[in-house]
Amino acid sequence: MKINFNLNGSPVSIDAPANITLLNLLREKFGLTGTKMGCEVGECGACSILIDGKVVNSCMLLAPQVNGRSITTIEGIHDPNGGPNDLQISLVENGAVQCGYCTPGMVMAGEALLSHTLSPTEDEIRNAIAGNLCRCTGYQQIVEAIEMTADLRRRKLAGQAKKLEEVQ
Amino acid sequence: MIIENLSYTCPTDLQEAIALLSDPGVCSQALAGGTDLIIELNRGSIKADRVVDINHIPELKMIRENGRITIGAAVTFTEIIESPLLQNKALLLVKACREIGSPQIRNLATMGGNVAHASISADSLPALVCLEAEVMIQSSAGIIYIPAAEIVTGAGKTKIPAGGLIQSFEINPLPAGHRVAFERIGRRKSMSIARLSMAALGSLDANGKIETIRLVPGAAFAQFQRMKVVEDMLLGQTPTERLFCTAGQCMAQLYEAASGKRWSAEWKEKAIAAITERALRQVFGDYNEN
Repeated sequence: MKINFNLNGSPVSIDAPANITLLNLLREKFGLTGTKMGCEVGECGACSILIDGKVVNSCMLLAPQVNGRSITTIEGIHDPNGGPNDLQISLVENGAVQCGYCTPGMVMAGEALLSHTLSPTEDEIRNAIAGNLCRCTGYQQIVEAIEMTADLRRRKLAGQAKKLEEVQ
Repeated sequence: MIIENLSYTCPTDLQEAIALLSDPGVCSQALAGGTDLIIELNRGSIKADRVVDINHIPELKMIRENGRITIGAAVTFTEIIESPLLQNKALLLVKACREIGSPQIRNLATMGGNVAHASISADSLPALVCLEAEVMIQSSAGIIYIPAAEIVTGAGKTKIPAGGLIQSFEINPLPAGHRVAFERIGRRKSMSIARLSMAALGSLDANGKIETIRLVPGAAFAQFQRMKVVEDMLLGQTPTERLFCTAGQCMAQLYEAASGKRWSAEWKEKAIAAITERALRQVFGDYNEN
C-alpha cells in the first residue's frame, strides 16, 4: 500500500506492506536504525518514536497506519547544527548512558514530556519514562538528566523573554 | 512474523467498517490501538487475512455529553485522561485509565479494545461496571446495548456478535456529592497487569450515613460485578475504620468462596480486604484528592 507521511521534517512516500510493523519500516526500509528493536511486545520502550508529538512504541503499529501522520525518530532529535541536543548532552554528562540501548527511547520519552512542561516534578518524570526499561543505570541519572534539561530550557526561555522585553 | 499476505484497510465510514468485518469470505480483525492485536498477529496466536483500521471513524473517536456521556470505542486512554469533561463528570474512569500501561501504551490503546479483548484483568472494566456504563454495539443485525457488567462472559469471551464492533460507551453522570476511588495492585507500578483492583463510588446522606455505595473488584472474580453483599452491609451505616475493616473481611470471604483455595488465595484474600478498606477510606474518609 502506497503511503505518504512526514518523517523527521521531510515528506516521504513509500510502498508499505501491511505485514510489517512501523519499527521494521523505519529500520529496514529507511535505514533509521537508531530506533531499537527490543521486546517487540510494547514493554521495553526501546522502539519509542513520536507520532504527531505523542510517544508510542513503533513495534505496535502496522506500517500503513502512519499514512498522513508526522513521525519523529531519534535521528530527528539533534541541535540545529546536527550535533546532540541539550537533553542528549545532559544524558551523557549525567552518566545516564551506559550500554546505550535504551537511550534513543529514553530521549523520545523525555522529549514528549518536555514538550508539555518545562517544570516537571520527579514523579512526572518517572511516570513519563515508566514505559522505558533501562537495566544499567537504575534510572536515577536519567531522571536527573531530564530534570537538568528542563531547568536549562526554562532558563533559556526566561532569558529570551527578558531580552524581548528589553528590546521593546 | 506477521503473515505475508495480510491486507490493510482503513474505512472512514462506520457502516463500511461493519460490512468489511462481517464479510464472510475474508477473516478480518478490527484494529484500534493494536497494543494486543499486533503482538498476537506477530506471535501467530490470532489469524487474520485483513485488518480493518477503525481509528478514522468519527463516531468511534468522539467524547461528548448529551444528557449521558458518550465515549467512542476508539478513544485512547490518553484522550480519556486528558478530557476536561471526563475529569469533571467521570473521574472514576479517568483514575482507572491513568493506571494503565505506560505513556506509550496509553497513547495507542483504546477502551473499546480493552473491553473487546475481555482480559479478566482489564483495567477499564471495573470502573465502567461501577459507573453502570452501557456498551453500544453495531453489527450487520443492527444496534444493541449491553450493560458493561454483562458484556464479558469469561476470559477472552464477550457478547459482541461475530462481525460486530463496539461503537461507544454510555455513562450517566454521577449526581453531586459522590466520591470515587480506584485502587490497584500490580507486580510493579507501571506496565504490569493488574493482579487485583477495586473501583468504588459512594455518597453520604444528611446524617452522615452511607446512602450509596458501589464496589467492583477487577482480576478477582470470573466476571466484573458489583459486590452487592458487601454493599448491603455498608448501606445506612456510619463510616468508621472498623466498618471498613469488616467490609474488607466480607469481601475476602466472598473471594475465597468463589475462587476456592488457589495458590494465590493466601495473599489475594489479604490483599482484596486491604484494597477494599483503602477504597472505602478514600470514598468516605476525610481524604480528599483528584
